[in-house]
Amino acid sequence: MAGDPKNYLHLARPLAPAPIATQSSAVTAPVTVTLHPQALFSILDHASRRPADQDRVIGTLLGTRSEDGTEVSISNCYAVPHTETAEQVEVDMDYQKRMLELHLRAAPKEVLVGWYATSGDLNTFSALIQNFYGQQGEGTWPHPAVHLTVGTKAGQDIEANTYISAPIGVTAERAADSCLFIPVPHEIKYDDASKSGLELIAGARDREDRSQFLQTDVEMLERAVEQVLEMLERVSNYVSDVLDEEREPSTALGQFLLNTLSLAPKVNPEDIEKDFNNHIQDVLLVSYLSNTIRTQIDLSNRLVTAALTMGPGDGAAATAGEGGEGKGQREGGGGGRGGRGGRGGRSGQAGRDQGRREEQ
Amino acid sequence: MATDPKIADSPIREIQVEALVVMRIIKHSTTSFPTPATGCLVGMDIGSQLQITNSFPFPASNPENQQTNSNPADPYHQSDQVALSLAAPRAKSSATYAGEMIKYLREVNVDAQGVGWYMSCSMGNFVSQAFVENQAFYQRGQEEKTVALVFDVSRSSQGSLNLKAYRLSPSFMAAFKDSKFSTESIQKSKLRYQDIFIELPITIHNSHLLTSFLHQIPAAPPQKTALDFPASLAELHHDPNIASNPLAPNLESLDLSIDPFLEKTTDLMLESIEQHTTEQNNASYYQRSLAREQTKIKTWQEKRKNENLLRTQQKQPLLPEDEWQKLFKLPTEPSRLELMLVGRQVEQYARQVDGFNAVVSGKMFGVRGNLLPGEMA
Repeated sequence: MAGDPKNYLHLARPLAPAPIATQSSAVTAPVTVTLHPQALFSILDHASRRPADQDRVIGTLLGTRSEDGTEVSISNCYAVPHTETAEQVEVDMDYQKRMLELHLRAAPKEVLVGWYATSGDLNTFSALIQNFYGQQGEGTWPHPAVHLTVGTKAGQDIEANTYISAPIGVTAERAADSCLFIPVPHEIKYDDASKSGLELIAGARDREDRSQFLQTDVEMLERAVEQVLEMLERVSNYVSDVLDEEREPSTALGQFLLNTLSLAPKVNPEDIEKDFNNHIQDVLLVSYLSNTIRTQIDLSNRLVTAALTMGPGDGAAATAGEGGEGKGQREGGGGGRGGRGGRGGRSGQAGRDQGRREEQ
Repeated sequence: MATDPKIADSPIREIQVEALVVMRIIKHSTTSFPTPATGCLVGMDIGSQLQITNSFPFPASNPENQQTNSNPADPYHQSDQVALSLAAPRAKSSATYAGEMIKYLREVNVDAQGVGWYMSCSMGNFVSQAFVENQAFYQRGQEEKTVALVFDVSRSSQGSLNLKAYRLSPSFMAAFKDSKFSTESIQKSKLRYQDIFIELPITIHNSHLLTSFLHQIPAAPPQKTALDFPASLAELHHDPNIASNPLAPNLESLDLSIDPFLEKTTDLMLESIEQHTTEQNNASYYQRSLAREQTKIKTWQEKRKNENLLRTQQKQPLLPEDEWQKLFKLPTEPSRLELMLVGRQVEQYARQVDGFNAVVSGKMFGVRGNLLPGEMA
């Protein structure tokens, strides 16, 4: 899919003479499609969950369209149950409407842009469904509905193709279920955020059970460093081979390497030491401070509950006072007030006990 | 550093997440950044492992829509967008939405059991009252085996995926049920802030189709064993064979920027400290007013006793001595839950800084060793 760039011919799709005279006619500009990995994963998941008797399953594509309709970005999708026999096809339209509403509630910007099918063939049923999706009212009119096919046969490549359609038909009756599918260029865009997730997911592909533990930052760093080391080793092997005249030199590669190596800064050793020490000190300081704060808060939490287990008396008052003053060192007046409150609380409790004893 | 409560206490020991769910959560969280994104998880529990197979976001309506059709008397009415999305997992409207979604998803063979909820956060600031209430709502419900997934947007963009799973510990759930967090109840239960959450390990799982797709993404192996050398430097830059492969190693983790992380962390720490002092002030204010009430009650009681003594001397009916309960109202003790949550949040930040420290020290020493050749660290 990301292989040889294919060449696409854009046909301003021929339109049937509109039965209804409408203000704006359908858009005929070229269309390019961007596919989000999330949508693709969802389609693959749906394909693996299909009912045993169905060969292919379909669903709706949601996404955003650029202002003039030339760029369509597919960012979400959901499955629509349908049944297909040799003679007819049934799509649950209520389901499709209701799911569209639900999805629009959660993400109002993602509108209907087309539909997908999990097998690569295009037949009359595809045409029927395509016309349904491209119609006025509930469909994507005046923009063309995008049809995405993802080949999911086990053992073959998973190939994705995108099409838009134009009506074609010999007679008016056959126009409803005939369609000219025009292929349009598509691209799978991986944005930066998905990259981190994708790397972990890809890490699972070589393992038996296809699963992968989430790794800590240090482990990811180790992996990245190992990869860079491996790349460096290959390059240095090549350079030494060239120097020993065992391999052909390439001026372009040499130039590229020179440019890259010249990126290393030439700085004074003392400056490096100074900057390095400053940076390390910053990091260590923040780490030390946060641990101190954590210990302090832990201590204050414990003191609050522990001090009250001791009975009324000077010992308790002293500890409560110390706890208050310990906090006071951090925030001057507030802590002092807290300490006084603590001691006041102690004597208040003692007074209450006394009062109760007197009543009896 | 205190250790987390043993995972053996909870009915779930580990979480398995499908790759699809990971991608959906990433996408939803990054598109709705900086507002936290919340959504529902569906899946299945198998023995002590919870499998999450799909997810969908909760609708969090805008405050403008809210004003027209909800009244402030509604307990779930929230004022701003952030609070709205944080309250979404336990809002009634979301429950109906989720129920309907799950019903429809069941028709296409997606697992129909709700197994929890997810939310996104930034730099680890997820420990809050809303978070605890959401998870308690889920753990109290019909299915007790639910989990909260937290996805950290800012740390994931720095290289490695940061996704954690949490459950509330049983001791905390018991205390939360009574929703009494006074000092005596905490003393009795010996609840510390470290005991609030249990963190569960996560594995990512791929389906067969997905695995074959992943193997296919890098272009087909070239026909020749080695590529031709490029003819010129310009060609090297524009060669499609060396196009950026999406599965190429993500070397962003080798980036050496320290200051933004440290600044953000210290800012968040300061916020937590401020919260802590507010809570402390509330607690001490309560104690002071309690003391004042106590002294007032005592003086009143003394007066009554003296009056009664006089009256016994004058053979008059005695006045009741326990009227003070109706005259004086003791102040209620503020809940200590917020204090505990602040403590847990601070611990989260401290742990993050430690992790960051480890990674950055390694990188710094590496860079230094490179720029100052011949010197050992």
